[in-house]
Amino acid sequence: MSGSGVPLLAYLLVSGAMFLIGLLGVMIRRNPLMVLLAVELMLNGANVTLVGFSRFWDTTDGQTFALVVMVVAAAEVVIGLGLVVAVYRQRLRLNIDEMTRLRG
Amino acid sequence: MTHLNVVAATPQIIVAAAGVLAMSMGLFNRYEIRRYGPSAISLAGIVAAFVMIVLLWGDREEAFGGGIRSDRFSLLLSAIFLVSAALVIGLAWRESAAVDRRGEFAGLVMVAVAGMMLVASAGDLIVLFLGIETLSVALYVLCALEVWRERSLESGLKYLITGAVGSSILLYGFALLFGATGTVDLAEIGEQLGGTSFAGEPLVIAAMALIVVGLGFKASAVPFHMWTPDVYEGAPTSITAFMSTATKAAALAAFLRIFQGVLPDLAGDWRVAIAVLAVASIVVGNVAALAQDSLKRMLAYSSIAHAGYLLIGVAAGSVQGAEAVIYYLIVYLAMTMTAFAVVIIREREVENGEMLEAFAGYARARPVLGVAATLAMLSLAGFPPLAGFIGKFLLFSAAVEANMTWLAIVGALGSVVSLGYYLRILGVMWLGTPADGERPARLLAVPAPVMMATGTAAIAIIGLALFADPMIDISRGAAEALLAP
Repeated sequence: MSGSGVPLLAYLLVSGAMFLIGLLGVMIRRNPLMVLLAVELMLNGANVTLVGFSRFWDTTDGQTFALVVMVVAAAEVVIGLGLVVAVYRQRLRLNIDEMTRLRG
Repeated sequence: MTHLNVVAATPQIIVAAAGVLAMSMGLFNRYEIRRYGPSAISLAGIVAAFVMIVLLWGDREEAFGGGIRSDRFSLLLSAIFLVSAALVIGLAWRESAAVDRRGEFAGLVMVAVAGMMLVASAGDLIVLFLGIETLSVALYVLCALEVWRERSLESGLKYLITGAVGSSILLYGFALLFGATGTVDLAEIGEQLGGTSFAGEPLVIAAMALIVVGLGFKASAVPFHMWTPDVYEGAPTSITAFMSTATKAAALAAFLRIFQGVLPDLAGDWRVAIAVLAVASIVVGNVAALAQDSLKRMLAYSSIAHAGYLLIGVAAGSVQGAEAVIYYLIVYLAMTMTAFAVVIIREREVENGEMLEAFAGYARARPVLGVAATLAMLSLAGFPPLAGFIGKFLLFSAAVEANMTWLAIVGALGSVVSLGYYLRILGVMWLGTPADGERPARLLAVPAPVMMATGTAAIAIIGLALFADPMIDISRGAAEALLAP
């Protein structure tokens, strides 16, 4: 473990909090844009964990992983925003509770 | 130490390249290129990748310094994905989503297959996650491909949100697994966690729980299945068929790769969790399917139940269990593809063609399709001597061997319940009378590629039962490769 700097526990607490706030956001928020933001928070929570453990083990594996995840997250958000715009154009209301065409 | 050994990764590279090429074919001005180019390039890529799989068949080889490993397991699973993609491209011939955006359709299916192949052949957590995301992101777009249809968009957005949540949970699990071992390499993680000294370790337990939940989302296992019926119903039907066969196979491949390939010694910790998912999926999937009037939704619930049957094999935690899962994945591909093919054909003839009443008397009007549908439904229900029965028998006996007889009993009871809806479909198709007269409305000619894909899948149901022994041997080879150090 690298002697100086931020302790591992701080990384884990912050990242755990980010992940949980994101999870809560996904469950509570009704606007798809906000849900997408919450998902980003979850992914970045996991990223902070990766970076923290990467420092703890003194390896770059975790940081490489985090970089890859950032690219993936960007791709996901692009698709998500594209879909939200397409839905908006169809004049659906931006509220996922009202998306009830499919049910049964 | 770092060997590129690109040859071992050629199937993945070919498929990804074919996907990009196919997508760009859709941009050409010449109608012929736009019309035939994407499908032709995709099919050529599939054939080339298949040839490479046959050539590479054998002992394990590693590419990119261990990031990608090609062994019998990854090669066999890749073959499943490729066959599924080829059938779907055939079935989607002249489907509205595929007609308007041929390039995107064929291209994204190929990209999704490349992602699935990465999942099956991942040598480390990064490649595994990248593969899962590649296939998911491609599928989000494919679900929403019919942008003029509200339902398709809704399906895409719902899949994106639940899929992204599942991916984040999975990623957090991977991060904790990395934290517990200090490496992302699957083989090294397996070495670190070998033996039972890590059994009960909180960090590892948390990692495994998060990974089970994340993969549960991808495999649509109860209680992480809520998205499945809506997404399956809203997506273009050929994509639904692709998702319920290839994506399920990819998720199960990830389950097998992580739990049986990397963490076999911790089986005591994860077996029960996976068994609970299996039971919940079998019960909820089969019971909910009874109440459906849309064939697409019914097949969606049936696919949830089948995720349950397949997870029985994972929970068994043995070579026999993995072998049963792999064989059943092949069988499941054939029978589900046939079932969806019938829906696809009917959907083009009448509006609301996926509803059960649209099929009244359909089998009498089209005996060949009727026989194909009968084969598929009976095999899905597990009627002997069809392939579905052999697969289920292998799965259940693996559970019994692993001292989980209760799992086998739940599975068998679930199959009995499933007869209720599979036979209901067949009853309507053979004995039902159409609402307005003798013959079902509007029987149109079926395009040749659709007919070929349907026929191939239907014949495979019989073939897999007739030639069960060689197929089971191949599956066992794959299962053993999974556990080989």
